[in-house]
Amino acid sequence: MSINQVLPFISTAVMLWFTVDVFKRYLVRHNPAFLFWAIGLAMFGIGSFAEAYLSLTWNKWMFFAWYLFGAALNAAWLGHGTLYLLARKPWRHAVTVVLVLGSLFAGNLMLQAMPKLDEASFTTTKPVSEQYGTKALKAGEAVPADAQTITTTYRGAEVTAVRGLLPLGTPVRLTTPFFNIYGLLTLVGGAIYSAYLFWRKRVMPNRVIANVLIAAGALAIGSASTLTRLGYGEYLYLGELISAILMFIGFRMAAKPQPEEVMVSNSIPASAD
Amino acid sequence: MASQTKTNLKSHIPEKSFLFEKIVPIALISMGVITLGLMIFAAGVLLGIVHF
Repeated sequence: MSINQVLPFISTAVMLWFTVDVFKRYLVRHNPAFLFWAIGLAMFGIGSFAEAYLSLTWNKWMFFAWYLFGAALNAAWLGHGTLYLLARKPWRHAVTVVLVLGSLFAGNLMLQAMPKLDEASFTTTKPVSEQYGTKALKAGEAVPADAQTITTTYRGAEVTAVRGLLPLGTPVRLTTPFFNIYGLLTLVGGAIYSAYLFWRKRVMPNRVIANVLIAAGALAIGSASTLTRLGYGEYLYLGELISAILMFIGFRMAAKPQPEEVMVSNSIPASAD
Repeated sequence: MASQTKTNLKSHIPEKSFLFEKIVPIALISMGVITLGLMIFAAGVLLGIVHF
């Protein structure tokens, strides 16, 4: 077993521990933010496990879980938890409805894509994140080393494409950027905003650092995923593990009480409180 | 918001702390820029400008 096959299993174990920790807080405090965080973390864990599994062998339902929970949905659900901590307005419930319906819609699109998977193109020698999508080559564009190509019809034209599991133009792929933009904005943006507010008011240093760690953890996986899509997939598993550890430490720090008790305005968002 | 204050746990950021005076602001600005970059990248994918 190589290090790249071991790292996703370690990430899965960290995320499982993290998920249970956050869900226990939800059971005690009944704050919906913890529930959304726990759901997002569980999705992250499922995605990591599926990725680890797919580094060993093929299973189409593991791919379903990896794409839907690991690549598409988890950031949005994590970020939605942060939204619930920061925005205490009724419109956030409407956003929840949109998120749930959007997730069901993406799940349905993924189910429709399952019979069309190009399973013969799968290999365990590359991370699944480097081979999930079929990529059309532009005229004159060089074929990447060790890539398999096909000639197919796309939007009425014959194109040469690098083979991938999901065929060209699979609708579910169009939903992923929506979830990821929302997740980045709320999870990372929310953590940066919270850290800035505490820092500006010169209070709660543990929560400043905690939110910096949460933002850095979320960015670690976001950056690693982007690098993978640009052809640098060797950083993905390390990025996932760093992300899981940083967010876990950040969350634990944010939840840790401070030594002195004073009066604080409700206007200060207490991310991961 | 004075009427809506509540008892909470709090401490103060130490004076003249290198971590809080230099590292934290730089980290926050850097992460904000990276976030913006990733969001523009994702929007580029959505609009078909970025292909992968």
